[in-house]
Amino acid sequence: MSKLTLNEQTICFAEGETLLDVASRQGLEIPTLCHDPRLEPAGACRSCLVEVAGERLMTPACARVAQEGMVVATENERIDRHRQTLMALYMTDHPHEREISEAGSPDLLLDMAAEFDAPMDWGWMEPMRGDREDRNPYVDFNPDTCIACARCVRYCEEIEGVSAITLAGRGSHTTISTVEEKSLLDTTCELCGGCIDVCPTGAMNEKLPLMRGQKPERELVKVRSTCNFCGVGCQLDLNVDLEGRDGQGQIVKVTSPPPGTTTNDGNLCVKGRFAYDFVHHKDRLTQPLVRDEDGVFHPTTWDDALERAAEGLLGVAERHGADALGFVSSSRCTMEENFLVQKMARALFRANHVHQCAAT
Amino acid sequence: MAGLVETFGAGAMTNSIGEIRDADFLFVIGSNTSEAHPIIAMEMKRAIRKGATLVVADPRAIWMTSIAEKHLQLNPGTDVWLLNAMAHVIVAEDLINREFIENQTENFEQVKETVASYTPERAEEITGISADDIRWTARQYAMTEKAGIYYTLGITEHAHGTDNVYALANLVLMTGHLGKPATGMNPLRGQNNVQGANDAGATPMFYPGYQRVDDPDVQAKYEKSWGVPLSPVPGLNLNEMMKTVGEQMRGFFVMGEDIVLSEPNVLELEKGLNKVDFIVMQDAFMNETARFADVILPAAVFAEKEGTFTNSERRVQRVRKAVEPPGEALPDWEILVMLANKMGANWSYKDPAEVYAEMVKDVPQFAGISHEKLEKIDAGEESIAGLQWPCPDADHPGTKFLHEDGILRGKGLFMPVHYIPPAELPDEDYGLFLSTGRTLYHYNAATQTRRESGLDVKQSEAFVELHPSDARKRGVHHGDIVEVTTRRGSVQLRAILSRQVRPGCIWMPLHFAEARANVLTNDVGDAVTGTAEYKVCAAEVRLVKSMPGNETFFPGSYYFEKGPGLQRVGD
Repeated sequence: MSKLTLNEQTICFAEGETLLDVASRQGLEIPTLCHDPRLEPAGACRSCLVEVAGERLMTPACARVAQEGMVVATENERIDRHRQTLMALYMTDHPHEREISEAGSPDLLLDMAAEFDAPMDWGWMEPMRGDREDRNPYVDFNPDTCIACARCVRYCEEIEGVSAITLAGRGSHTTISTVEEKSLLDTTCELCGGCIDVCPTGAMNEKLPLMRGQKPERELVKVRSTCNFCGVGCQLDLNVDLEGRDGQGQIVKVTSPPPGTTTNDGNLCVKGRFAYDFVHHKDRLTQPLVRDEDGVFHPTTWDDALERAAEGLLGVAERHGADALGFVSSSRCTMEENFLVQKMARALFRANHVHQCAAT
Repeated sequence: MAGLVETFGAGAMTNSIGEIRDADFLFVIGSNTSEAHPIIAMEMKRAIRKGATLVVADPRAIWMTSIAEKHLQLNPGTDVWLLNAMAHVIVAEDLINREFIENQTENFEQVKETVASYTPERAEEITGISADDIRWTARQYAMTEKAGIYYTLGITEHAHGTDNVYALANLVLMTGHLGKPATGMNPLRGQNNVQGANDAGATPMFYPGYQRVDDPDVQAKYEKSWGVPLSPVPGLNLNEMMKTVGEQMRGFFVMGEDIVLSEPNVLELEKGLNKVDFIVMQDAFMNETARFADVILPAAVFAEKEGTFTNSERRVQRVRKAVEPPGEALPDWEILVMLANKMGANWSYKDPAEVYAEMVKDVPQFAGISHEKLEKIDAGEESIAGLQWPCPDADHPGTKFLHEDGILRGKGLFMPVHYIPPAELPDEDYGLFLSTGRTLYHYNAATQTRRESGLDVKQSEAFVELHPSDARKRGVHHGDIVEVTTRRGSVQLRAILSRQVRPGCIWMPLHFAEARANVLTNDVGDAVTGTAEYKVCAAEVRLVKSMPGNETFFPGSYYFEKGPGLQRVGD
């Protein structure tokens, strides 16, 4: 096991670990913006610079691999000064007002600038990254709050593997774009929304909540649940506006839990992230219905509907035997519900005609 | 499911999703992973970036083939030939894991004899894959230590789906790629709770936890537990139920499935449903089945109720209530309790946690799992959310991959299988192979996804993929309206010309109610599971209406000839 000195403590580390890995394991917080545990380190945002004894320049903790005998400082006056300066420079073309920068997703840069007490008055340059309209239904990009850390671009290439977005322009004009500035719909983009999720400054946003004027993410309550589409079982956070739908609660957006905590490792697909409108859709069934003599459905009370359902099922069993009843359960419903359906078939009707669409 | 229970003793992914990134060889067969399981595809992409080799066996070119080392584009339904030929090579070149076979399996000799006649050269004639490619794949699979098999409905949705599973299991057993991380045999489940519904006993053969209904000990256990006499006769599977609708089957309780959109050969099914006495339907939306229902009970969706789903990797995870259901809709479990009590039961469950506790009480491999424990795990930061069975007691941490201390069945069972052609092959009248499947942007009956405006922008209408050479013969151009006909029915929809399908094959998604793929599909079922042959039937295509000027009609940017490929680390 190799050792290094971190803030005057001797620490063991495994080969290949970065200084950020080692520090995180020790519970030390090093600020990062462009870092993502799923991605190759980029060292782009410069917020994680630390000091290695004997080296003239500070080094990015996210990209620097730990070496035997290194003497590392993650906090001292010089590092503080660097962080203040860096944040102050970022803030010369980054909106200072939360209402603007955080209309949708949170902006970590604003938090960080406040935390390091960065001067906010080093002048103002109008952002020069232009604005682009895109007819895609989901992803909104606000160049003004983008810091060109390329976390989204790297995610798109390294994790989603479609390389739909890219860095474009040079210097202070650098921005996120697509090849030939096509709409995302006309690229290889699969609309997974990972770019939104990894963006540290809220420059990538979900379009629909913005268009609908819904509350920003910071004011929503997150409820951790399991996705109801395919069999991967991604964990997702349903972001709920508790006051929505007259206090019944409204799902405003879906975000993924942090990487490393769930099976999906912080990833979601287009369905898991964006296909939640069905929950509050006007087509939902809201009342029990029974078909009357006239052949059409009429709303009724729960008690009446259950009575009719019970009579009908028992009647079939009486006339044709319990073997004439089929129970179709659902692989979309919960464990508990499936358990109850099979128990209903077996314990109440003494028959095993119970199945669902997925038995292979 | 049944095939894996038979051979290994547990019908589930042997390994975990998180292990895929460490695999060195990925054999993906009958799985359009990047569209049907995008998150698992991401794990595969990670493995490939790190240098793993991917081989995709599929009649259709898919996104994953663009990053595969090889694409084995086999003739539809010839999987057993391919897999037996691979087994042939592994035996002939002595790449078998002798120690594993001797200590952990039985019946190897029979499989060895069976595959002797499945030479790669003959396989080439039947599958259309070169003998060299078959040899190469077999060698790579056998000789790579971390080699995993991943499959979905392209394997199982055949009249001989269980045979396909056996043939795959034989490969796993003869190479000993089992009981180790990043290896194994991994069915990727199509719905959120396929694994769970089967685990919970919603199947005609098994009580919860795959305990057979015809096992007297099991029957006695449940009779004691539930306090009622139970039937030892296995019930009809869904396929059998659907085929006897209106005859033996005279009444249905249907929860959360649109049988009229999802079951094969649906026109025949509809005739039967007209003769049924009584149908209760419990769902969140109106659907096609409602046309035949007598009572409709409005149900909550996942975000409006508590409970658990079990995913492909046997991981039990919590479903939590985030919002109130609309109107008078109620969670399915509450409705079930009320309905059962109306029919004379005396159920008093106060919440799903109590139901779950009752279930695991009689299932040793789930016994250590409870809602309470899941809450604790999810609140902590040490481990990944959820708990993977087997988990026999409250202190057990769950099981990442199966069969580590020996195969659960006791001995892994080799099952010799012979090739039987699909039940229906193209002929003079119906000259094309039709396969059906899922796309990235929609889901099953699409009652959920087609209510999402964004997904409709990407893929707004039904389509059938047709190879340009077949299109030319039939005078069809890209974007034209065509009629697809099989012996069971016909539908009209857009044609898109695509080289993703082989000449002689067409493909269409199953999501669209206005062009129901299941009007066309064959309801012949697998002998063991009853799963229908959604993946192969004979069809013909005819031009209905030319749509000049629609040359650029694509459902979104769906169409491609070759994907962008992945950049590998170090390239």
